[in-house]
Amino acid sequence: MSIHIPILIIISPLLAAFLVLLTRKYKIVLATGSIIISIVFTLTLSSRVLSSDKITYHLGGWRGPLGISLVIDGLSFFFSLIALGLGLLVIIYSIPEKRYGRTYYFLLLVSLSSMIGVIYTADIFNMYVFYELLSLTMYLLIAYPKTGVTLRASFNYLIMGGVGLSFFLLGVGFLYAMTGTLDIFHIAEKLPAVFNSSTRMVLMSFVLIATGMGIKIAVFPLHGWLPDAHSMAPSPVSALLSGVTVKIGIYCLIRVVYTVFSAEMFFLINSHNILMVLGVVSLLFGASMALAQKDLKRLLAYSTINQLGIVLIGLGIGTELGLTGALFHILNHAIMKSTLFFCAGIMIAETGTREVQGLNGFGRQQPVITFAFIIASLGMIGIPPINGFTSKWLICLAAVEAGYVVLVAIILMASAIAAAYYFRVIQVLLSVPLKQDPMSGHEGEQMIHRGNLFRSWPIYILAAGCLLLGLLPTLGISLVKPAVSFLLSHAAP
Amino acid sequence: MNPVNISLLVFMIGLYGVMSKNNLIKKIMGLTIMNGSIVLFFISIGYRKGGLAPILEKGTTGGIPTTIFVDPLPQALMLTAIVIGISVTALALAMIVKIYSKYKTLDIQQLSKER
Amino acid sequence: MGSSKIIRTIVQKLFPFIMLFGFYLISHGHLSPGGGFQGGVVLGTAIILLALSHGIEQTEKKFKSRWLNMLEKLGILTLIFLGFLGIFFGWSFLGNFLPLGKPGEIASGGLMLPFSIAIGIKVAAGVSAIFYALIKYRGEI
Repeated sequence: MSIHIPILIIISPLLAAFLVLLTRKYKIVLATGSIIISIVFTLTLSSRVLSSDKITYHLGGWRGPLGISLVIDGLSFFFSLIALGLGLLVIIYSIPEKRYGRTYYFLLLVSLSSMIGVIYTADIFNMYVFYELLSLTMYLLIAYPKTGVTLRASFNYLIMGGVGLSFFLLGVGFLYAMTGTLDIFHIAEKLPAVFNSSTRMVLMSFVLIATGMGIKIAVFPLHGWLPDAHSMAPSPVSALLSGVTVKIGIYCLIRVVYTVFSAEMFFLINSHNILMVLGVVSLLFGASMALAQKDLKRLLAYSTINQLGIVLIGLGIGTELGLTGALFHILNHAIMKSTLFFCAGIMIAETGTREVQGLNGFGRQQPVITFAFIIASLGMIGIPPINGFTSKWLICLAAVEAGYVVLVAIILMASAIAAAYYFRVIQVLLSVPLKQDPMSGHEGEQMIHRGNLFRSWPIYILAAGCLLLGLLPTLGISLVKPAVSFLLSHAAP
Repeated sequence: MNPVNISLLVFMIGLYGVMSKNNLIKKIMGLTIMNGSIVLFFISIGYRKGGLAPILEKGTTGGIPTTIFVDPLPQALMLTAIVIGISVTALALAMIVKIYSKYKTLDIQQLSKER
Repeated sequence: MGSSKIIRTIVQKLFPFIMLFGFYLISHGHLSPGGGFQGGVVLGTAIILLALSHGIEQTEKKFKSRWLNMLEKLGILTLIFLGFLGIFFGWSFLGNFLPLGKPGEIASGGLMLPFSIAIGIKVAAGVSAIFYALIKYRGEI
């Protein structure tokens, strides 16, 4: 039975999703149980994967390029842990909300299953299919409260996501035309021979795939869907979107660049320079736009564009330090941004307003949640005892080592702008309200006692994770090491 | 004027439709045209000169055929891609119905002005 | 939303043949062009044709939307169950465990036929359910 674990990790949330639609009483038990089963299965594979071994599983018994295989190596394992861990916390966070019916848990479970499907598959068309499934569930989850703003935001995301994935599919088509196979590792074997004969088609497919993934990652020119979608969604869905779904796009980009097109080609066509430039522009754009926002969740959404710019800079540098920093920053940003969105959800539910100015006096009512918010935002800025500092520091070191000193200045400037807008929010949180509003105090008391346990424990766990990874940076780097070593064993820049 | 160039041309037409039309339904039409052009691209890749349809006749064993068949793999892939295109289109149309019932307009410039 | 008497009569006469064609496509999926999805869409189209010509209320009396939703869920659960049977019999997930017959017969190809039937039923139910959901909104706008 243990040989079938890779497919069981994908099937367990999917099966639970369809069983959730049949029952009403057991939906939460099924949801959390299936994700816990998947996490347990993933952890049992950890010993084999961390010793730099690759686990392959052939669906249907068809080997090689004939069938679809699942491959779990350091990179997939790392991303799947992030996705499953955050998925479990999102489900726990959405337990006390009575408005979420069976459809919500169904969509959450299908989206988590398709995330793991994208991460584990070794067949590039299967990656497209699972990614479309993930995007479909995300469009529905954003539009779950069927108000006008959420529908418009979700429709915007649908159009841009559909276009992006069409670009990706066209790139896959070019790859198939050149090599005749769809398995990632077989394409990697056959591609160098093709590259010498028809360079332009390889470049065309790379550009198409990179553009398609760029739309899903929301780099600067293609980011238009992100502020609306991430801010108008319900809070647990926002945490899942910002924390994991954009990272799946980065995973696909890394997988295609480092495994399919080997890293030599990546450096040969100067795309690492383009990636760094795009990262810098996203960084500054996200920081400046976040400074001007009055809505709390929109501010956090632009901050996501900011941090993903840093990840792209790290990826563009391409050395071992740069890759370690970028992957570690993906983990850190997932934890920190989820903490921030969970706290924002509680703040919006209790004060009734989405504006930053309306959060007056929240710090006095709920000191622990405010403390978690402060820890996570300090990490986003990059202040030492919190994990965000470690990953930004690694990327700055990699930039200096590779000779791009200007990048360090730009990252520091963007961190200063991030400090400006996060401290503005913290200042409002910690301030005393001008006049005592009797109604808000009364409602605040009620909401504190109602279902607060399920909402606050994920926040405590995530904030503790921020502190832990910050105080013990070697723990985080040892998680990232297998992924980086796998990427670099294929690369020789 | 081979099918690959034509499919890329149709892809660009669909992309133009998505980007520059204001009506929401025309954007969905553009997305559908893009999906159709990708189907055309894949199928035209699988073509072999003088090939037959990839169906084994009754009575033949599973031996290696001496005739040329067109590539059946892109056809199977495109079935999946068509299904995905239908699902996205169905979801988008359902959202358009809801948006129209709330805002009474389908023009994206007017919708973006709403607050 | 009914149509004229001619269309209603012809649709009533054609409906069994369209269903038969759909089942033919599903069951001959591994022998000729067709398969689960195509046959399922033809079956769903037959139900949509009924709804367009006879009106949605009358069609819903015969093909209840609750049955269609239940068929859809049962279809996917059957698919996952067939996959697990593959594990149970010693192969991998979705591995073939039924005997391969002679190529050219309907009962050949192992797991393909039950798979196609499950997919066909699910797709038919799904397409009809989408149509019902979209049409029923006409009253609310």
